[in-house]
Amino acid sequence: MRPAVAVTGLGVVTPLGDTPGALHEALCRGERAVAPIERFAVDGLGSTLGAEIGGFDPARYLGAGRNFRPLDRNGLLTAAAAELALADGGWDAERREGAPVGLVLGTMFGSVHTISAFDVRALQAGPNYVKPLDFANSVINAPAGQSAIWHGLRGVNTTIAGGPAAGLQALAYAADRIAAGRADAVLAGGSDELCFESFLGFARTGRAAGTSGREARPVPFDARRDGFALGEGAALLVLESVDSARRRGARTLAALAGHGAAFDPSRGRDAATAARAVERAVRAALDDAGIEPAELAFASLSADGSVDGDLAEARGVAAALGAAAAELPVAAIKSMLGEPLGAGGALQAVAAVGTFGDGRLPGVAGLEETDPELPLGGVGAATREVRRGPALLTALDFDGNARAVVLVPGEGPAG
Amino acid sequence: MGPRIVVTGIGAVTPVGTGREEVWSALLAGRSGFSPVETFDTSRYPVHVGAEVRGFDPARHLRRLAPEELGRASQLAVAAGRLALADAGLDTGGLDTAGLDTDGLDPERCGVAMGTTSGEPQIVERFDDRVAADELDRVDGEFMDRYPSQLIAANLAAETGFAGPVTMIPTACAAGNYAVAHAFDVLRAGRADLMLAGGADCFSRITYTGFARLGAIAPDRCRPFDRNRQGMIPGEGAAVLVLETAERAEARGARVWAEIASYGLTCDAHHMTAAHPEGDGAARAMEEALAAGGLGPDDVSYVSAHGTGTPTNDRLEAAAVRRVFGERRVPVSSIKSMIGHTMGAASAIEAAVCALAVTDDRVPPTANFEEPDPECDLDCVPNEAREMPVEVAMNNAYAFGGNNASVIFRKWRP
Repeated sequence: MRPAVAVTGLGVVTPLGDTPGALHEALCRGERAVAPIERFAVDGLGSTLGAEIGGFDPARYLGAGRNFRPLDRNGLLTAAAAELALADGGWDAERREGAPVGLVLGTMFGSVHTISAFDVRALQAGPNYVKPLDFANSVINAPAGQSAIWHGLRGVNTTIAGGPAAGLQALAYAADRIAAGRADAVLAGGSDELCFESFLGFARTGRAAGTSGREARPVPFDARRDGFALGEGAALLVLESVDSARRRGARTLAALAGHGAAFDPSRGRDAATAARAVERAVRAALDDAGIEPAELAFASLSADGSVDGDLAEARGVAAALGAAAAELPVAAIKSMLGEPLGAGGALQAVAAVGTFGDGRLPGVAGLEETDPELPLGGVGAATREVRRGPALLTALDFDGNARAVVLVPGEGPAG
Repeated sequence: MGPRIVVTGIGAVTPVGTGREEVWSALLAGRSGFSPVETFDTSRYPVHVGAEVRGFDPARHLRRLAPEELGRASQLAVAAGRLALADAGLDTGGLDTAGLDTDGLDPERCGVAMGTTSGEPQIVERFDDRVAADELDRVDGEFMDRYPSQLIAANLAAETGFAGPVTMIPTACAAGNYAVAHAFDVLRAGRADLMLAGGADCFSRITYTGFARLGAIAPDRCRPFDRNRQGMIPGEGAAVLVLETAERAEARGARVWAEIASYGLTCDAHHMTAAHPEGDGAARAMEEALAAGGLGPDDVSYVSAHGTGTPTNDRLEAAAVRRVFGERRVPVSSIKSMIGHTMGAASAIEAAVCALAVTDDRVPPTANFEEPDPECDLDCVPNEAREMPVEVAMNNAYAFGGNNASVIFRKWRP
């Protein structure tokens, strides 16, 4: 077993709130942010549902009167979540000066809106009429780079590309850096924005809810699910070495006890190998954490209403858990938050910390008829009480990337 | 601190050649790969030269995946990966299956870490053409099925059947070094037995447009550290290294090109597109890499520079090298003088160069060098490859976002 890495701060900007507490309350109430898109026209796309952050105002997080122009929407979402996490964790500017803080961010696109708009302007107005500021944001690591500039984060700055699994990848990457003694503290998590370009793109793949010809039903594990509703948001956790947290008397919310990774070479085309990848990732994470399936208090899956993906992930988790799969309470937060891509895994982690706090595990809001093939017994629509104990977080990405993380509850102020 | 990690295979697709031997001999010969851009029409641009990979036929390399289902960056990456596995003696050349001679390796313990700047930009550019032509109804599932950058790593894993940890790191022009560093960590932590690590980018209209707008592209050729340098030449390519534990490499009798000693990663946190005015983050990355490897500046025989050929980069990079190496004139060269700036592939190709340099005791030149710049007071190995003992080679890469990465390679001594 490796030394655990402490979670000492959380920052979220989501359609269901911008504090971990508000998010947890909304999830436990079964509030659903998934609704018809308002920010851009979706006529003729089949899909109309998304989970938007309405009225996002960067000044609220990053200070009134500041110049936000160099950052695009995903950059601002990320910088805002970073501000909230740093403040929550007590990593003020002075402390960051003494020990460089890193940032590891999972994101699928950076901003495909910024990238596409830059190119379209060059096509329409001519290459001399593009804006250098937009070019700076056209790299996929722009949200991480911009946030580092904004907050003076001089440690490692790594962007990890991915959808549902990217957030867990970022947590694992950061935890290994800390465990190897390369950093005291790293902000880790993910972000993605909801934009026309990605919305249209996913609608045309047929994987978005409402594009299959059936009634739109982006509800994980539901027998009539037909795809996901795109979401957006940013979530970052302060991961910190136990020594550093102890030294400064920091409150420890949770600890990252282990993680695991596996890949499905069929890239999701073969349901059996996809499930097998999830199973292997879970086994590796439990092994890394030194935890038996029976010790888990609950699990949180990345399931988002995808017809094949939800079942493959559940089958993989069930295979790894064995007998424990029949009873273990299971959460899936994306009928409420939509599929926030890079932010998803980190939001699963933040939600799990909420459950550590008061014992309530959100139900799968909107779940009416559970898929009869679902091999997990602990899935239901209602929020319920769970034991305080280790949480298993899993994600299966669109490309076959499977990830698992084990979080354990913290012990209040570190001794 | 974990097991020793070695490079046992090298594959590359570059504007001056394909495969380890062809690329290495072209670079030692100082051959350049610049020519008028063919990927798209540059008539409205102030510059017209690029470093494209000509005559690339992915079907020659791919066995399991259909080339037409992959974006060009993935094609380049998978080709480089296939070449690397063959170089490592792990490829049987079989056509019907993955064709891997796994030599006792478990594919579930083999992973992939790749870097990129733009992912699959040609896919989004096709979408943008539709937007500009008001033809959104013609956009199909190909856009999202092939565009996301993580597919570069996923496609390489799918082609090879590797089912261990797969990670895509889009940290712009330092991404190859980030991927190598991450693979090093994955192996050291015992989370895999073998990793394919590298970087890939294809020629991108978006990238070309952006650098042209910044005035960063040279009109004809790339002249790093020269007083009259006028900028970079955007390019494309891919390189993949096979990394494994020394123990496993020895057990299977593999040829070892180099050992990876250590790395350093830092962020300027200063500006998205401009380096820190004193090269602070760049120097810290070198210092961190040296400290992590238990090395001092005097141990370094050769530095592979980021060396883009832009006036600012080269001046600040020279300052950072001087801060770390002091008065000692360590040989520093930039192969971007020959293959241009291949973006996310650049530091992966340069990593291959460092691995070959410590084996071969030869370092490639900085080509096109005519007039020294007092502000870049370096021994930049002008124009001629140099035979010299190369015990330790440091690979430096810098990127948009203020990302800095130094990876150190060491001559393999069992």
